[in-house]
Amino acid sequence: MTSTSLTMASSLIIIFTLLSYPVLTTLAPKPRRPDWALSHAKTAVKLAFFISLLPLFLFLNEGAETIVTSWSWMNTGTFDINISLKFDHYSTIFTPIALYVTWSILEFASWYMHSDPHMNRFFKYLLIFLIAMIVLVTANNMFQLFIGWEGVGIMSFLLIGWWHGRADANTAALQAVVYNRVGDIGLILAMAWMAMNLNSWEMQQMFAASKNLDLTLPLLGLILAATGKSAQFGLHPWLPSAMEGPTPVSALLHSSTMVVAGIFLLIRMSPLLETNPAALTICLCLGALTTLFTATCALTQNDIKKIVAFSTSSQLGLMMVTIGLNQPQLAFLHICTHAFFKAMLFLCSGSIIHSLNDEQDIRKMGGMHHLTPFTSSCLTIGSLALTGTPFLAGFFSKDAIIEALNTSHLNAWALTMTLIATSFTAIYSLRVIFFVSMGFPRFNPLSPINENNPTVINPIKRLAWGSIIAGLLITSNISPLKTPVMTMPPLLKLAALIVTISGLLIALELASLTSMQYKPTPRLTPHHFSNMLGFFPTLIHRLTPKLNLALGQMIASQTIDQTWLEKTGPKATFSSNLPLITTTSNAQQGFIKTYLTLFLMSLIIAALAFID
Amino acid sequence: QRVNLSGVMGAHLVRRYVTEPDTEPDPARKYEFDPQFGFPERKEREMVASQEQMNLAQLPLEQRDYCAQYLLKLMKCKRDNWPNFLACKHERHDWDYCEHQDYVMRMKEYERERRLQLRKKRIEAQAEAA
Repeated sequence: MTSTSLTMASSLIIIFTLLSYPVLTTLAPKPRRPDWALSHAKTAVKLAFFISLLPLFLFLNEGAETIVTSWSWMNTGTFDINISLKFDHYSTIFTPIALYVTWSILEFASWYMHSDPHMNRFFKYLLIFLIAMIVLVTANNMFQLFIGWEGVGIMSFLLIGWWHGRADANTAALQAVVYNRVGDIGLILAMAWMAMNLNSWEMQQMFAASKNLDLTLPLLGLILAATGKSAQFGLHPWLPSAMEGPTPVSALLHSSTMVVAGIFLLIRMSPLLETNPAALTICLCLGALTTLFTATCALTQNDIKKIVAFSTSSQLGLMMVTIGLNQPQLAFLHICTHAFFKAMLFLCSGSIIHSLNDEQDIRKMGGMHHLTPFTSSCLTIGSLALTGTPFLAGFFSKDAIIEALNTSHLNAWALTMTLIATSFTAIYSLRVIFFVSMGFPRFNPLSPINENNPTVINPIKRLAWGSIIAGLLITSNISPLKTPVMTMPPLLKLAALIVTISGLLIALELASLTSMQYKPTPRLTPHHFSNMLGFFPTLIHRLTPKLNLALGQMIASQTIDQTWLEKTGPKATFSSNLPLITTTSNAQQGFIKTYLTLFLMSLIIAALAFID
Repeated sequence: QRVNLSGVMGAHLVRRYVTEPDTEPDPARKYEFDPQFGFPERKEREMVASQEQMNLAQLPLEQRDYCAQYLLKLMKCKRDNWPNFLACKHERHDWDYCEHQDYVMRMKEYERERRLQLRKKRIEAQAEAA
């Protein structure tokens, strides 16, 4: 083994050890120190981040990508499952970013959850989640990826239902598990197909053995898995419901790391995807539909966390669109930049929520720019990065995606949807800032507003730096694997910017209407559609389980009984014998004529039989 | 009464589907006319980067085009200048300009095919009228 791959593997093993040590020491019966969360958990993640920079710098300096297969786990004659770590371009860049964001979130969580009696358990759950995520990202075979996949799903369930005394939180956690399970059906289908047809779960073998096969079925399975995990349209309601969990959970799981696992799976499988135009078109159209639908839903929400959740869902749709364009590297770039500004948006929301004594409704906020200037400035920076303001982090990924979309020979409908969703992004971002930071306070004066706490300020500051320079850093250091098309008419080049600015102007106009006397007759239908989330949860959450349960009940109690009793059992005997019995007893009425007729007929038949 | 669509964005789509669907070339298919037709002498383009060079750099298949030599120079510059990631602007511009010229060349080929198709149609119309 060369020294580079040895270094990379050792770094990852050190990272795993660093992250598992705080978790494992909590198994001891001795109670933790009161500041265990800050001194042990956060420090572990911080150290792990700095160590993960080592493989990153090796990769950037040498272009070294390694695959380390370290432990034979379950090996039969023809099928091997090993512990296999892949340090390619994607995992080497993602791991430091995930650790950096988690470090900031853990530091913030030590302030946010300080009044929680089980804060140590919270941090333990977050650490287990992080370990599962890194297992997922560095997996070189489907089995290890599946372990990470299920791990993040379970930790998501436990963390969303953190306040388990609240019925809504339990419902949301269950929703997350069930929707993810539907996606897992797709993943397991793909894994089974690959085990049967490609005879391997290692990625290299799969890519090599699949050259001339028709991969539509496993790719559909993988797309279903991504739909479930990354909240694409059809399996999306769990993501806004997941806001029942504490804000650090929303910031870590449901914006930066867990929800991108589905997209990451598709990026990993991109050599398989790029040969199948049908699968790419499905990704494109599904992503376009998701991004527009969730952006529409975000326009009229009043809970600040729900707006940011729908914003996450919209950006995930955009990532799916990028995969549909056959540009996995751009999708990955958007994952990385999105992690920074979305986590920061969530942390700023959490800071504002706590400052206003757990008020989450933006209609009851206002004027925060004077009261928490740092937080609202970072909210603004995060929103600017989200809308793709030139040269902030989001610009490098989002603008590149929209340029690739504009210059590709494809579906104009998907293009229109994505551009409209981009303008909606500007609209709801401005709505958040208008209601939260601008204007005058709409809450009671006695609020525990104090952002002057380094535990709050430093994480947000770190993520703000990330939101500003991450895009530039990543694009300058990574060479593009696909040639970007740089030649296009000026209108196409500026399309994203024009659409965003027009969205901004529309939003400003709408916001200014709130202070005028002119009140037109409201058109309620679009508002209701948007506010009730397209009526999707209303229709599906009651209807589908009811139909399934009713079908099950009918089968179990009625159909089976009916079959065994009436069609094949005693009653069947009865009903098949009845015509015979009726005929026979109708014939034997006591009439001599009938008997005589029968006697003569049988005599004739016997005579005929004897003659022949 | 012909609408002058030249210079309008999306004009090729309008021509292709609405106004001139039978003469507008399809970029996904091979062009009908001989590349040499109408030119006194025209050489085929040659790759400057050799296959061994591209193999050594492990270039993906899509990036092995006629501008690969600039990409190889860019990759070399980036490797040599790291950690100064702001260094290779000139090489990046060279590669981008070569790709831009390649794109313009493709646009010109498309336009040539379109005009030859229109010319063919005109000649056929004249032959029929005569």
